[in-house]
Amino acid sequence: MRHPTDGVLRRLIDEPAGVAETDRRHVAGCPQCLAALAATREDAALVGAALSADAEVDVPAAWTRLSTAAAGSTSPARDRIPARRGRLGDLVRRPAAAALAVGVVLAGAGTAAANDWLPIFRTEEVAAVGLRSADLLALPDLAAYGDVELTGDGDLRSVPDAETAATESGLDVPEVDALPAGVTGGPVYQVGGQVTATFTFSAERAARAAAEAGEALPTPPPGLDGSSVRLVAGPGVAQVWTTTTGAPGLIVGRAVAPTAFSSGIPFETVRDYLLSLPGLPDDVAAQLRAFTADGSTLPLPVPSDYVTTSTEDVDGERATVLATRDRMLAAVVWVADGELTVVAGPLDTDEVLTVARGLR
Amino acid sequence: MPATGTPGGLRPDLDGVFRREYPRVVAVAARVLGSRDSAEDVAQEVFLAFNRSAVPAGEAAGWLSVAAAHTALNLIRSGRRRAAHERTAAARGLPVVPDVADDVVTLEERGRVRAALGRLPRKQAVALVLRHSGLSYAEVAAALDLSPGSVGTTVRRAESALREELTRHASSH
Repeated sequence: MRHPTDGVLRRLIDEPAGVAETDRRHVAGCPQCLAALAATREDAALVGAALSADAEVDVPAAWTRLSTAAAGSTSPARDRIPARRGRLGDLVRRPAAAALAVGVVLAGAGTAAANDWLPIFRTEEVAAVGLRSADLLALPDLAAYGDVELTGDGDLRSVPDAETAATESGLDVPEVDALPAGVTGGPVYQVGGQVTATFTFSAERAARAAAEAGEALPTPPPGLDGSSVRLVAGPGVAQVWTTTTGAPGLIVGRAVAPTAFSSGIPFETVRDYLLSLPGLPDDVAAQLRAFTADGSTLPLPVPSDYVTTSTEDVDGERATVLATRDRMLAAVVWVADGELTVVAGPLDTDEVLTVARGLR
Repeated sequence: MPATGTPGGLRPDLDGVFRREYPRVVAVAARVLGSRDSAEDVAQEVFLAFNRSAVPAGEAAGWLSVAAAHTALNLIRSGRRRAAHERTAAARGLPVVPDVADDVVTLEERGRVRAALGRLPRKQAVALVLRHSGLSYAEVAAALDLSPGSVGTTVRRAESALREELTRHASSH
C-alpha cells in the first residue's frame, strides 16, 4: 500500500486515535515510515521547545485591567470611576450609601440574571459599595432580558447630625461605641431616598441574549412575558469617618432591605426562571436561590477571585463577612427586622466585626 | 465612542468567556512572542476586540486563539517588541523561557525561530502555534477553516521550515 502522508505521520504523534487503523498498522511495519515518523517527532519536539514560554497568568488582575479598559473606552461616564488604586479616593468623594447601594446590587442581582452586574462588581471590587445606584442599574444585561426603569433618588445628601439623619430616613442611626485604631473624630452623616427598579421581562429580548450566548432560551413559564418585578430598596443612612490622613476609615450604613414585588406571577417563579437562563455562573445561581420576596435573607453573590466570604454571628443575626484578597477592604453585612446594615472600611475583618457587634 | 449598544461597555457574556479562555489566549501569544508581558498585552487587545464584536460565545475559543496568533504574528513581523523584550530579559540575566527547554534550544535559536515564524505563510504559522498551544486537530481545523486531514500537513510543513532555519544557522557557524 502507499505510504501515509507527512500530515498523517504528524497527527500520529499528537492524536494517534485520529489516524486510521490501516495507516497505523502500515507505519508500525514500514521502516521507511518509522524513520520519517522519528524525524517528524524530533522536529515537533524541537519547535515545541523553541516556542515554549512562561505564560502563568493572574486572571483576576487581567480581568480588572480589561473591564476597566472596556468600560472606559465605551462609556465616558465611567471615566470618573477610578480602577484599582482609586477605590478609596472614590469613597471619599462619593461615600455613597454602602447599605443602599448594596441593597440595589442585591435586588438587581435577584431579578436580572446576575451576569451583568457581576462584572461591574468585579471591576470595582468590593468598592461596589461606593457606586451610585444609578451606575449599578445602568447595566447592559438587565436590558438584555427586558426593560428596566429606575425611579427615586438613590443619591446621598449630607445632613448635619444623627438626629436629622434619623428623621429624614425614618431609620435608627446606629451608634458606634469604639472606633478602630487610626479612625478618629465624628462621622459625616448622609441620607438617601428610596429607589425603585422595575424590571419587565421580554421573552423576545431574552431569546436574543441567549442566542448571542450560543444557547436556546428555556421556555418561559406561562404569564411571564411582559410581567414586571418591582424591587424597592432604601431609604438609607450612612455614616462616614475619615482617618488621620483624610482617607475614609469606616463606613456604617443602614437601609431598608431590598424587597421584590411582582405583577402577575409569583416572584419566585420569575426568579427561578431567570436563574435558568444561559450565562449565569453556577455558584452565583446557587446563592441567588436564597433570595426571597420579603428581603428576609441576604444572598451575597461575590466574585470569589477577589473577595473571600465567611459567616459570623452579629448579635444573634447571621452576618456575611467579606474581605478583598489584597486585604484592602473588609465589610460585614446582615439583615435584621427588614433592615440591612453594613460596616465596611480599609480594615481587617476582626475590626469590622468588632464595630458591628458594638453598634447600638 | 464605539457603537456597542452596551451601556456598561461589556458584553454580558464577556466575563465567562474571559475566565475560561484568557490563560490559553496568553499562551498562544506567548508562544509567538516569547514574553508573557507582551502576550498579556496582546490578550487584552484581543478580548477588547471580542467585546466589540458580535462573535457568538460558542465560537469564542477558536476566534480568540486565531486572533491572538494573528495579532502576535503581526507584532513579531515588525520585530521591535520581541527584540526589546528579549534584550531586557537577557540584560537582567533572566531566562525568557523555562530552564528545561534551554537545554534543547538556545536563546539565540529561539529568537531565530520566532523571526522565521513571522516569515512563514500565515496559515502555517497560525496552525503551528495553535497546535503547540494545545488545540486539538479538530479545533485547529474549525478555527482556520481547514479540513482536519490537512492540519497535520500544514503543521508539519511549518515545523520543517523552522527546523531548516535552525539547521542552516548551525551549519553556517
